[in-house]
Amino acid sequence: MNAFLDARAIPSGTILQPDVAIIGGGPAGITLALALAQTPLKVMLFESGGFDFDAKTQALYAGKVAGVSYLPLDASRMRYLGGGSNHWGGWCRPLDPIDFEQRDWVRNSGWPFGIKELQPYFKRAQALVEAGPWSYDRSTKPMTEVGEPLALGSGGVYTSWFQFSRQRDSVLPTHFGERYAGDLRHIANLKLFLHANAAYLRLSANAASLDQFDVATLNGRRFSVKAQATVLALGAIENARLMLASRDVVPAGVGNGNDLVGRFFADHPIPRDTATLVSFGGDIPGYYFNAYDLNGALVRPAFAPRDDFKRNSKVLGSLTTVENAVELDELGKAAVITTALALGIDASNAKAYSVGCGLELEPDPERRLTLTSDLDALGMQRLKLSNRVSDSDFARYRLTMRELGRQLLAARSGMMRLNLKSRDSWLAALDWGDHHLGTTRMHVDPKQGVVDANSRVHGLSNLYVSGGSVFPTYSASNPTMNLLALTLRLADHLKQVVR
Amino acid sequence: MKQPRPSRRAMVAGGGVAAALGAAALGLTLPRWLSHRYAPTPYDDLLGELVDREQAARLGAVARSELPAFSARAAARELRQRFEQRNLAEVLDADIREDRIAEVSGWLLPDSLAQLCTLAAS
Repeated sequence: MNAFLDARAIPSGTILQPDVAIIGGGPAGITLALALAQTPLKVMLFESGGFDFDAKTQALYAGKVAGVSYLPLDASRMRYLGGGSNHWGGWCRPLDPIDFEQRDWVRNSGWPFGIKELQPYFKRAQALVEAGPWSYDRSTKPMTEVGEPLALGSGGVYTSWFQFSRQRDSVLPTHFGERYAGDLRHIANLKLFLHANAAYLRLSANAASLDQFDVATLNGRRFSVKAQATVLALGAIENARLMLASRDVVPAGVGNGNDLVGRFFADHPIPRDTATLVSFGGDIPGYYFNAYDLNGALVRPAFAPRDDFKRNSKVLGSLTTVENAVELDELGKAAVITTALALGIDASNAKAYSVGCGLELEPDPERRLTLTSDLDALGMQRLKLSNRVSDSDFARYRLTMRELGRQLLAARSGMMRLNLKSRDSWLAALDWGDHHLGTTRMHVDPKQGVVDANSRVHGLSNLYVSGGSVFPTYSASNPTMNLLALTLRLADHLKQVVR
Repeated sequence: MKQPRPSRRAMVAGGGVAAALGAAALGLTLPRWLSHRYAPTPYDDLLGELVDREQAARLGAVARSELPAFSARAAARELRQRFEQRNLAEVLDADIREDRIAEVSGWLLPDSLAQLCTLAAS
């Protein structure tokens, strides 16, 4: 059994020499450590925080935000063991095959491989997030027996299904630190350092490999780690920060010879009350609002565009959920009465609901992270996020909603009002998923991506990146379960290349 | 003895009445067509398709404000073509099927219904 080590007690000047160093103890880092258990590899994991929230450690995340409103950078992440899983909502859904394609209507889209590369890993990822048996879109039939879903006429939108993470013996989603601390302690080939902040990446003189990295602690200790392979699993914001701030050999930053690190930042906009959905037949089943336990899988429906509709209408991914009942104003009542009468529908029990959604954004190189001159308590430069959302991202989602409205009319089951039209109205309704993505994007071409198809930083023989920061295209699906699948794939690769 | 089947038009009309009564039961509004008489217009052949003309006109007034270039005559000409040998349900079905969806203050309606509402407000 290993013990968790407190980096604040490691003497300055120490040099640690694992086979694999994992920087970051969030879902990706923990998953990688678990996946490398029972291998001959000596693994070390370095986590900035401890077991609980600490304000001084959290403050290391602070940065600036410019452009479209976004959460403060130290509020949208959690810097202690378990990382982002300490505040996630547990929403899970696999990426769709089309998410991997180079889509001619989505600039900078496409992964270096298709979904088949991740499929062997999805079920293990699903087990790690404790989302129950794999059901997702297979839920429609059994859920129909629980309560008839809203009927949709044939068309471009269908009823898809989320599943939810729920930690064993808890009502909350799986908090990776709390949930897997015991497992990590039992991994004989792992040493896990808490309160250990990766502060600088030091390249070899020829810039062909990572020579070592510095670890700093808030009590002033500083030591080095020389690993055969190092994996950055700090999240998409901090991965980029560490690479940009490490400039002694390459002035633009590690892996940044083509000025891509920090660019293409993405998240899922979650605009609220995007539309009003009226069910002519009255109340819709409760599972539209509260996840339903379907034989151990907590499921909840969402309206999603089909792949052929995405192609034909040139829209991006979106997942639209019914949120809460609302009252109609006089004009809304007039719209419902007039439409129902014209269609010969009895709308005497009609009910109206507010809907919200999660949107896929088009990859945008100007939505980016850059360093500022402000320094944190460890002397590391802080970041600025320049946030942007294009009008076309909203307009494309509107097309999907319009199609959903058409299909409700076709089925004579309901109708819709699109509540947001002007850019100002969209921005006023905007919330974010805190799904940080894209800043070290994956591409086979070093001029278009920071890491290659194996998540290895282009041009560096032994530096890898794990997590949502490598997503070159984002999908509307929540990323955690998907990035775990990608991390498990990376673990298999490391087992092959690190000896 | 086999009973004669009601015509489709009669069935649609019957459905409309049932829906109107249903809407009244909902308390959304009283169907004023039961009591309200309107001044003749050049479009009464079309407006007769609306079961609750007052509610339709409420919606249509908003549609008119969003379509400053709306021409009642042109709309009526277009609608009459669509209604040729078809009833309201069939016209709306065709709109929905062929993606002729109009937006009135965000509400998504079959285009012909939106045009009828706008005529009702003219």
